[in-house]
Amino acid sequence: MGQARRVTVAGFVLALDRRYQPETHMWVLARGPGRVRVGMDPLGVETSGTLAQVSFVPAGTELTAGLPFGQLEAAKFVGPLVSPVSGAVLAVNGAVTRDAGLVERDPYGAGWMIEASLIEASLIEASLIEASPGGATVELPGLLADPAEISVWFAAKVADYRLKGLIAQ
Amino acid sequence: MAEPLRPDVGALRVVDFGLSSPLRSQTLWHAIGYGVSAGAPTTLSFTRPAAPYVCLGYHGALDEVDHEYCRAHGLPVLRRMVGGGTVYLDADQVFFQICLPARAVPPVRAQALRMLLEPAVTAFRSVGVPAALDDDLEICVGDRKVCGHGAGQIEDAVVVCGNLIQRFDHERAARVLALPDPAQREHTLALMHRFVAATPVDPAAFQAAMVSAYSAALGLGAVPGELTATERTALTDLDDRFCSDSWLAGPVRPLLAAGTGPRARRVKVRAGVWTLASQHDGAQVTVSVVRGTVERVRLRAGGSDWPARQAELAVTGVPWGSVADVLARFGDPGRRLAAAFTSAGSGTL
Repeated sequence: MGQARRVTVAGFVLALDRRYQPETHMWVLARGPGRVRVGMDPLGVETSGTLAQVSFVPAGTELTAGLPFGQLEAAKFVGPLVSPVSGAVLAVNGAVTRDAGLVERDPYGAGWMIEASLIEASLIEASLIEASPGGATVELPGLLADPAEISVWFAAKVADYRLKGLIAQ
Repeated sequence: MAEPLRPDVGALRVVDFGLSSPLRSQTLWHAIGYGVSAGAPTTLSFTRPAAPYVCLGYHGALDEVDHEYCRAHGLPVLRRMVGGGTVYLDADQVFFQICLPARAVPPVRAQALRMLLEPAVTAFRSVGVPAALDDDLEICVGDRKVCGHGAGQIEDAVVVCGNLIQRFDHERAARVLALPDPAQREHTLALMHRFVAATPVDPAAFQAAMVSAYSAALGLGAVPGELTATERTALTDLDDRFCSDSWLAGPVRPLLAAGTGPRARRVKVRAGVWTLASQHDGAQVTVSVVRGTVERVRLRAGGSDWPARQAELAVTGVPWGSVADVLARFGDPGRRLAAAFTSAGSGTL
């Protein structure tokens, strides 16, 4: 799953099988009822620079949307990884903590960061498990779910960053 | 055209803490981070540690430090919240920190760092040091780094810190590192002498130049200030936290299976300058890598009939990524050494 739903937007590969948090550039992928995987999108990676270290809170830690679940270090700059969801950490990707470059090389795959159980599992199940086309959708607050909407947001963000000289053309 | 820094309107608070204990030389400016996050103005602060100590970056491994040596010489070991490597700090260094709201900083880290370090470069130049910010975002004179720096986000504030190094004790800076391979310590010290330099200028003139440079860059008038009530509370909490074993231990790290794979130790002297030591299956390598090229190497593979010197010559001057291929020509010892090299140098050098 995933490869068939990837498109190139403004020069970046965008996976359309998951949700995105526009402010933090984190993605959320359903992994089962009430369970998600969280990672960073390629624009988040691009703006971070070459990743030197990544660390996460331990499994079992409660998560609150908008608060850090870890830290990322690039160019001697340590900054928070902000959780897009509320719940609890079920697992962290040890491969990424040993080799932060995985996030750059494979942001949608081997570079995933944490898996989490979500509060209000039934709501999450409804919102994150893919339903049949046209089915009722309940969105997680602040997460983009619609592929067209995701593409438009991502393209606009890249264009804005390029206009401001923040990333290369 | 890059997006400019966008600090809030108001003043640039300038706080000179003067001489501080090793602990306070860290916690004072971390407290300012919490204060600026809570609404205190953009702040430029200074302090100088009253006594020497060792400081780990946020992600630094505790076992990078020779704790026995530090205990024997009364050197405290602390961990900061910002990035960078393990460093030796003492009273011959003046620390500076610029702290501003995160929303005022460009979202691209490299660009934020460049903008927040360029005023420091201006200050160095104002006091006669021909410094420049290089492509690795290090403040250098020629090839030599003259200012260590680190950066981080503390809640909703960004802080970039650095130092004026009036004198640098290269021997001690190398000695506090845990380096089981004596050859690596010798390599590290040699590269420190070559690539890290002091700039013995008048610290008062430097601080005045810093205030002027950051005030101009941020478009804020400089006003002397002191800690807010929020910051004083944060300071007390930070004093406790930074002295705790759990904080010193650092972020949670994944457990590695004991006894599996090559054992490697890497030391970054400055951007692009590394020493590495690694062992694998009886093979041992010690190497200095400068700008991606092997500059010095010591190879041991066991046995006396193996042409170690010939192999050392073969890999000297070779790009790091090609070393394993060159060593593969030296039979089984070469392959074991190649494995040790690969382990030591995984990732970017």
